[in-house]
Amino acid sequence: MTKRRFMSWRVALLITVSVLMMLPLVLMLLASVKPAEQLTSDPYSLLPIRIQLSNYQESLETIPYVKYLANSIVICVGSVVGTVISCSLVAYGFARMQWRGRNLMFAVMIGTMLLPWHVTMIPRFVLFSELGLYNHLAAIVLPTFLGDAFYIFLLRQFFLSIPEEISEAARLDGLSEFGIYWRMILPLSKPALVTVAMFQLVVSWNDFSSPLLYLSDQNKFPLAYGLEQFVSSYADQTHLLMAASVLFTLPMVLLFFVAQKSFTSGITVTGSK
Amino acid sequence: MSVRSGKLHRFAPWLFISPWLLGLLGLFAYPFVASLIWSFTEYDLLTAPRYVGTDNYQRVADEILRGEGFGKALWNTFYYAAVSVPLSTILAILLAVMLNWKVRGQAVFRTLFYLPSMVPMVASSILWLWLLDPRDGMVNGVLAMFYDVPPLWFQGMQEAFSLESPFQFGSKDGLTLMSLWGVGNFMLIYLAAIGDVDQSLYQAADLEGAGIWQKFRHITLPMLSPIIFFNIILGIIQSVQAFTQIYIVSEGTGQPAESSLLISLQLFLSAFRDLEMGYASAIAWVLFVILALATWGLFRTSRNWVHYRGVRM
Repeated sequence: MTKRRFMSWRVALLITVSVLMMLPLVLMLLASVKPAEQLTSDPYSLLPIRIQLSNYQESLETIPYVKYLANSIVICVGSVVGTVISCSLVAYGFARMQWRGRNLMFAVMIGTMLLPWHVTMIPRFVLFSELGLYNHLAAIVLPTFLGDAFYIFLLRQFFLSIPEEISEAARLDGLSEFGIYWRMILPLSKPALVTVAMFQLVVSWNDFSSPLLYLSDQNKFPLAYGLEQFVSSYADQTHLLMAASVLFTLPMVLLFFVAQKSFTSGITVTGSK
Repeated sequence: MSVRSGKLHRFAPWLFISPWLLGLLGLFAYPFVASLIWSFTEYDLLTAPRYVGTDNYQRVADEILRGEGFGKALWNTFYYAAVSVPLSTILAILLAVMLNWKVRGQAVFRTLFYLPSMVPMVASSILWLWLLDPRDGMVNGVLAMFYDVPPLWFQGMQEAFSLESPFQFGSKDGLTLMSLWGVGNFMLIYLAAIGDVDQSLYQAADLEGAGIWQKFRHITLPMLSPIIFFNIILGIIQSVQAFTQIYIVSEGTGQPAESSLLISLQLFLSAFRDLEMGYASAIAWVLFVILALATWGLFRTSRNWVHYRGVRM
């Protein structure tokens, strides 16, 4: 009897916190279907007086959403491909090959993670400008083809857990080192590769500072940067801003439900050293 | 094996890591050296850098002493980290402990607690800018029921709540609130760590009649301490790097009253609005040194409170 009541205050607390955490999202969703006049005349009312789905259509027409979306997709796909290829190659070199200087190079790589981006931002900008990448999506995508210390570290840990016998057997079968990487290790590492791909997808979708830094042409803006352009000019059009924000958030929420497991496993790896 | 393939063998590892090597040279080594050199110059991107000695560093030191410019941004960042890192650490641990309770629907609660962290920073900044609007925001709608003068959040001259006016929340309180809402990643790390704690410790404590608080205080917290330490460092780094939300809530200015001018934004504005690359580089280096010292200091104190599985370090 007491045990039962004990359980229920826990559930009550969990439900209360869930409601608090979800409330801002629910308010966003509700605001996105409220008529504009309700948001200005009665801003504290919770439920829409009528559900006005045309807000979405209107926001798609006001904000060049489709164009921004196309740019976001180019950046996301390019960055994910670049990250997965480059980081898995480098991680293979660190995890499954013996060579002199390996530990030193690995330490250098970990060291680069400690350098704040503030230090490298300006020279990178100058370098990319001189390479003619200013105002090109390539300025954002290209660096992902040069590896990322955190992902390389993550993949290296995974590659280390694959038994060495697999490589030895493949070598006896006459596979080259690249063949082992491509045909043995990569297929065995799918979960880790998916985790890295998902992380990068989220990072690229959300990335605001690179487009701010490198893009000047409206036609090249991805959603994250494009939406921000409308914050000040449409400050009194909350219904449009919220509809656009919902559309921008939705893919990430869906992604989370589809790939929940690879997310949570990846994030917790961060914590365990 | 032929000589040729033997040679190839020796170079093969370098081929595998070549993408990163290229990145190391172009994205780290060159920028590292260039920004150090430029920090001693006046450089506006359009004309060649001109050597000015330690002028930029003297300006930085001067601004720190007077609390203007960089000094102001440094103070803002320190304030934001000092409030939001402890609060989000406590919240993340509490949420993780709750999510570890064996109740029905545990998976659903985990999803609901984490979901806000999937909201892109741009979207959550737009959302909170509206929720914390002094006139139309839902938050002030609720607060107005309790007292007469609602806080101005991101719009007012009041930078943060103070003891004299505890309900006059400012920009920094708004930013803290946003960081608390997105605490999910830290929460997940703690959740995994709690799952790793040896259950026999709790069973032993049960036998000795320990209560919930005692078990939390003497088992969960010490076992979590390495993760707490790691997350605090991560949290400080995140505060120093916070940019997107600050840019959006202040429309890229850090105003009003420079209340949300955190270090990243100040650096960005110095470089790309004022075109003072030399000064901005000096800021970056001073920041780098401060961050390194802070991390080192934390490592020193960590010996007193971080437990590494029975071994005190």
